[in-house]
Amino acid sequence: MLFRPMYITKVYIENFKTFKGSFKLELNEGINILVGNNEAGKSTIIEAIHLALSGLLNGRYFKNELSQYVFNNEVVEEYLESLEEGNASQPLPHILIEVFLDGDGVEEFWGDFNTEKNPKVSGFSLKVAFDEKYQEHYEKLIQLGELKTLPIEYYDISWSSFARNEGLTPRTIPLKSALIDSASTKFQNGSDIYISRIIKEFLDTSEVVEVSQAHRRMKESFMEEEAIQKINEKIKTASKISDKKVELSVELSSKNAWESSLMTYIEDIPFHYIGKGEQCLIKTKLALGHKKAKEANIILLEEPENHLSYLKLNQLISDVKDGSSDKQILVSTHSSFVANKLGLEHLILLNNKKTTRLNDLSSGTETFFQKLSGYDTLRLILCDKAILVEGDSDELVVQKAFMVNNNGKLPIEKGVDVISVGISFLRFLEIADKIGAKVTVMTDSDGDIDALDKKYENYLGKNAKQNINICFDSSIDTGNLKIGDKKFNYNTLEPKLLKANNLDKLNTVFGTSYEFEDDLLKYMKSNKTECALKIFETSESINFPQYILDAIKPVEQ
Amino acid sequence: MQLNQSNNKLVIAAAGSGKTTFLVEEALKNKEEKILITTYTQANEAEIRKKIIQKNKCIPENVTVQTWFSFLLKHGVRPFQGFLFEKKVNGLILINGQSGLKAYRFPCQECKQNRVINLICNKCKSPIYYGEKDFERYYFSKGIKIYSDKLSKFVFRCNEKSDGFVIERISKIYSHIYIDEIQDLAGYDLELLKLLFNSESDILLVGDPRQGTYSTNSAPKNKQFKKAKVIHFFQDKSINIQTDQESFTTNYRCNKFICDLSNKLFGNFKETESANDTLTGHDGVFLIKDKEVESYLQKFAPIQLRDSSRTKVHDGFNVMTFGSSKGLSFDRILIYPTKPIIDWLKDNKSELAETSRSKLYVAITRARHSVGIVTKSTLNIPGIPYFDTEINQ
Repeated sequence: MLFRPMYITKVYIENFKTFKGSFKLELNEGINILVGNNEAGKSTIIEAIHLALSGLLNGRYFKNELSQYVFNNEVVEEYLESLEEGNASQPLPHILIEVFLDGDGVEEFWGDFNTEKNPKVSGFSLKVAFDEKYQEHYEKLIQLGELKTLPIEYYDISWSSFARNEGLTPRTIPLKSALIDSASTKFQNGSDIYISRIIKEFLDTSEVVEVSQAHRRMKESFMEEEAIQKINEKIKTASKISDKKVELSVELSSKNAWESSLMTYIEDIPFHYIGKGEQCLIKTKLALGHKKAKEANIILLEEPENHLSYLKLNQLISDVKDGSSDKQILVSTHSSFVANKLGLEHLILLNNKKTTRLNDLSSGTETFFQKLSGYDTLRLILCDKAILVEGDSDELVVQKAFMVNNNGKLPIEKGVDVISVGISFLRFLEIADKIGAKVTVMTDSDGDIDALDKKYENYLGKNAKQNINICFDSSIDTGNLKIGDKKFNYNTLEPKLLKANNLDKLNTVFGTSYEFEDDLLKYMKSNKTECALKIFETSESINFPQYILDAIKPVEQ
Repeated sequence: MQLNQSNNKLVIAAAGSGKTTFLVEEALKNKEEKILITTYTQANEAEIRKKIIQKNKCIPENVTVQTWFSFLLKHGVRPFQGFLFEKKVNGLILINGQSGLKAYRFPCQECKQNRVINLICNKCKSPIYYGEKDFERYYFSKGIKIYSDKLSKFVFRCNEKSDGFVIERISKIYSHIYIDEIQDLAGYDLELLKLLFNSESDILLVGDPRQGTYSTNSAPKNKQFKKAKVIHFFQDKSINIQTDQESFTTNYRCNKFICDLSNKLFGNFKETESANDTLTGHDGVFLIKDKEVESYLQKFAPIQLRDSSRTKVHDGFNVMTFGSSKGLSFDRILIYPTKPIIDWLKDNKSELAETSRSKLYVAITRARHSVGIVTKSTLNIPGIPYFDTEINQ
């Protein structure tokens, strides 16, 4: 039988940090890319998964880190308010993180003890809840009416499998997590706990035993050194500190002494002295190299684009992609490049506690963005509304039109993002359609309405989508101007602008003095961006063609 | 459902034939798959652990040793208890007899006045018990501990309600399930065995029906197969198991004299042969006059074995009950017989109740070299000589 490493199918989070009430996130085997605006909860999800699997929060043991601030703030506020006179009291809030698992060896975790009461799933939960045995203390506290903060000292942290195995600890959970967070400066405390954890997990049991034995022998031989023995002799005879033997020795008491005293070196430089970006690369490679037969691991990668040059980022991403065949990976990112490269099909969009996926993007579009990963796909995915235009000049004119109609406010200030997409309108529309993003396409007709109707047939007429709006000028203009032997195209942005205004107005705006419209049209055609910039900057009042005004119209809710 | 005859095996093994050792060796052979070894008594569980550690220095990662009750609680009750019962189960409460007392039809004066239902009042008569319809009270104590006598029934119900999830889960975790002292399982335990036989796990049962002294419960279900009669349960054609009654008939512990006496207790089983030829100068079965017991104890230091802890013995010397000596070995023992035992020793055709017979069998077969039987000096038993401390000094 083929070995299928354990992986997370779903995470359920309740009252942890950003998440008020419950939140659910389904994950796929292999790569998952988490995108969302700031404060959407990306980091919280990663923290929650890592906490449930490792028992660590901010690199320290959770039981020492437990405070009111790991609870959702609003939930705590509501609870404390409910204690005030005259309010209906609420029960003490709790935190619950449930991790649903699949793959080999999950049977031990199979049971119906989960929030869904689903008897067909496997997994475990981490619960931070009031410990019932302090009921009496709590009653006293309430009676005294002095509860101004959460009585965290009476809280208990416990792990349990869905099979109600309450003896579960992170140590006994066969799925390990490696959190790689290059952005954060939280863990700048000399010894990087993650690197030693990751290295330890990279070793198999017999190797760990060998290392710890070697470490012990090293310490013992240190004790046998003549110099040390001499010193001890001196202390022994000189000290009147105690009747008992006083001696200098190395510490052997703690369970994992070697972990805290052995340091990782990169080319003779201690690990935490090398660049953040390099650190991130090395940790990722180590975590990807983790190949223990009976253990699986999930790699949690937070905003890998930080501290990495384009080149290094490329390298990291290809490593991650290669490693994802037998590992589960969860990446949070703000970078379209990262998302495009790793594959938009793995994207999970996080917005207002809701998740949307790009699961069944056509393979053409998927590959298109993978190859041309410079496109700002995430801008489309993350904005409230997008206006897609072809190029820079269209972008500038639309921005201007928007400002004129919105008291001088830029579209982005109102959550509208104007994105130049070249000729890839349909690729972007496919994404917008999948995630239900509000998108307006503003395009030239080039005088061929039939061609446009054909191109956008999935979004026009009977196929019209509520969230997708295609704007172009449906009236076809003609004229006699020729450029060389070719007929001038009267159905692009520039002639439409001239049509909406007049020769004088545009001469004023551009600082030109053409006598004939044809000459101005020729000028505009060969100086598109410059003209657009002039329009953008002008204080003259300008008329905009109706299809542009349509494109900037606020979307009806 | 796949019925593969070769995957489930029952080994009937005589006392002293090394069945627990066999089970442990079987388990240690397999380094890959997950194995569960379970047995009813804690004493035997500890014995199994001890044997594994003797042979392997530690318990291998793929082997789990657990008592039957704690196995049922962990893998039978907890994973899918939601199908039957939502509250947190706070463990197990050991019950001898029947649990879930509701009231007495004829309470005694005192209990009636105090309006109490006293579980251990011996003056109240005709107890009434909760039926399964009063689900919580039928299965659980006030502190929500599950009654041990109904544990396997709960597991059976849970499996039924969940459409087989309980057994499926167990068989997915453990490729092999070994159960020692199979004669101790009773009631719904046997129903669970049936289900396990038809699961993907391979089941190996070892036991000795002759040593049926304890039962996990005294439930009415499968009453006909209790203790020594457990063998009949496996003889049913519909049970998917192979039985081996031949391989373990050599007793490595007891010498020939002791084996011969033990064979007489269970005439319908294949006779066991002794493989202990060691002579110590005091070998075999002897009657000991009660006034000479003390000097006998001093001379040979046997372990005193008695039917119940009410039987008076000599203080200052080691003592155990017949039942609790199960699984152990001693060089010499001294038995304090009950009246029916004396009668049976005198005449092997005399009536000896099933449990008493098993207990006597267990007691006798503890000894390597000698079995002493305390008697009044007037008794005469054919074939068993008196041991005269005076003469032998």
